[in-house]
Amino acid sequence: MHEDMRALLSAYLDGELHGTRLLEMKLHLSACESCRNELKELRLVSDLLQAAPDPEFMPAGRFASNLMLTLPRRTMRDLPPKPGSLVWWLVPGVLLAAWCFVQTVFTLTGAVTAAQISGLLGSGGQETIWFAAVTSLFGSQAAPAQPALSLLNTLTVTGTNLLDGFLWQALIVLLYWGWLSVWWLMRRPRPMKMENAS
Amino acid sequence: MAQPQITEDENALIEQAQHGDRNAFGELVTRYYPGVVRVVYRLCGDTGLAEDMAQEAFLRGWINLTSFHPQSSLRNWLYRIAGNATLDVLRRKTEEPLEEEAAQMYPDPAAGPESALIEKERVALLQHAMHSLPDAARSVLILREYGGLSYQEIASVLDVPVGTVMSRLNYARNRLRELLKGQLLQLENDYA
Repeated sequence: MHEDMRALLSAYLDGELHGTRLLEMKLHLSACESCRNELKELRLVSDLLQAAPDPEFMPAGRFASNLMLTLPRRTMRDLPPKPGSLVWWLVPGVLLAAWCFVQTVFTLTGAVTAAQISGLLGSGGQETIWFAAVTSLFGSQAAPAQPALSLLNTLTVTGTNLLDGFLWQALIVLLYWGWLSVWWLMRRPRPMKMENAS
Repeated sequence: MAQPQITEDENALIEQAQHGDRNAFGELVTRYYPGVVRVVYRLCGDTGLAEDMAQEAFLRGWINLTSFHPQSSLRNWLYRIAGNATLDVLRRKTEEPLEEEAAQMYPDPAAGPESALIEKERVALLQHAMHSLPDAARSVLILREYGGLSYQEIASVLDVPVGTVMSRLNYARNRLRELLKGQLLQLENDYA
C-alpha cells in the first residue's frame, strides 16, 4: 500500500489524481509521515525547476520574420484534400455508370425494335397512340392502308426511342461537363500572400 | 501554464496557413514560439541550439501542416516535432554544452556577489542533474514543468500511455530529488 501510494505522489502533486485514488492518497498522507516528507521534497524539486531562469531568446516577432524568409513555397500537391472530396470523385463514376445504363437500354431497345420490324418477335409490336386510334376507329376500312400505317408506326416508335436515348445522353454529357467546370474552378489555388518572401 | 484556448480565430489561421498563407503561419509562429523554444532549451540546455531547433520545428510544421488535423492541439503537435528534432540532434552530438551555457546565465546582480555565485552554481547543478536523466524521463519532466502539459497531453505528444507518463515523471522527480538533495546541501555548506 505504502509503495503504491509513493508511486502516485508525483501525480498527486500535479493534481492528476481523481476520485477514489485521490481520497486514498489524502487518507494515506494524513497517516504517513514518510510520504508527507517525500511529497514536500518533490514539491521543492518542482519549484526549483520552475524557478530556474530562462536565458534571453530571440524576440518572437524577429524569429517569425526570419523564419518567413526560409519557408519553401507550398505547391498544389501539398494542399489538403477538401472535405467531401470523395463526392467529387464519385460524381464522374456515377455519371459514367448512368451513361452505361442508358446506352445499354438504348441498344437493347433498338435491337428489340429492329426484331419487331423484321417480324422475329411476331406481329405484336409497339403501337403509337395515333396508330391505335386509327386502327380502332376505322377497323377494316383502313385495311388497304395497313402496311403503310404499320411502317409509319414503326418509324415513329423507332424515332421516339432514338430521341429518348439522345436526350438522356445529352443530359449526362451536360452534367459531366458541368461537374468538370466546377471541379476546375474549385481546384484553382488561392493567391498566396508574401509570395516573394522566399 | 494552462492549455491555450483554441479559438475560432486560431482555427481560421491554421486553415489559412494550410492553404499556403504565410502571414497566417507567421501569426501562429509568433504565438507558439516562446513555449516551443523554452521547452527545447530545457531539453538541450543551449540557447543557440534551442532557437535553431525551434526554427527547424516550425519549418517542418509548415511543410507538414497539411497533414495536421485542426481538431487536435497545434501546440502539442509543435512540441512533438521540436522535441523529436532536438533529441535526434542531441543523440548525434558528442560534446556537452552544459558548462558553457550555465556560465551564460547571469543571476540578479542586486542579490550580491555571493548569492549570485550560489545561484549560478545552483543552476549549473540543476542542468547537470537534468541531463543525467534518461531522455524518456527528461522529456516527460520538461513537458510537464516547462511546457505545462497535462499527463494526457504528454501521453499524446510522446505517444505513450498515461500510466507511462506517470511512472516516468515519478522516476524523474525522485531521481532529481536524490541528486540535488546532497549537492545543494553541499553547496549551501560551502558558502556558509
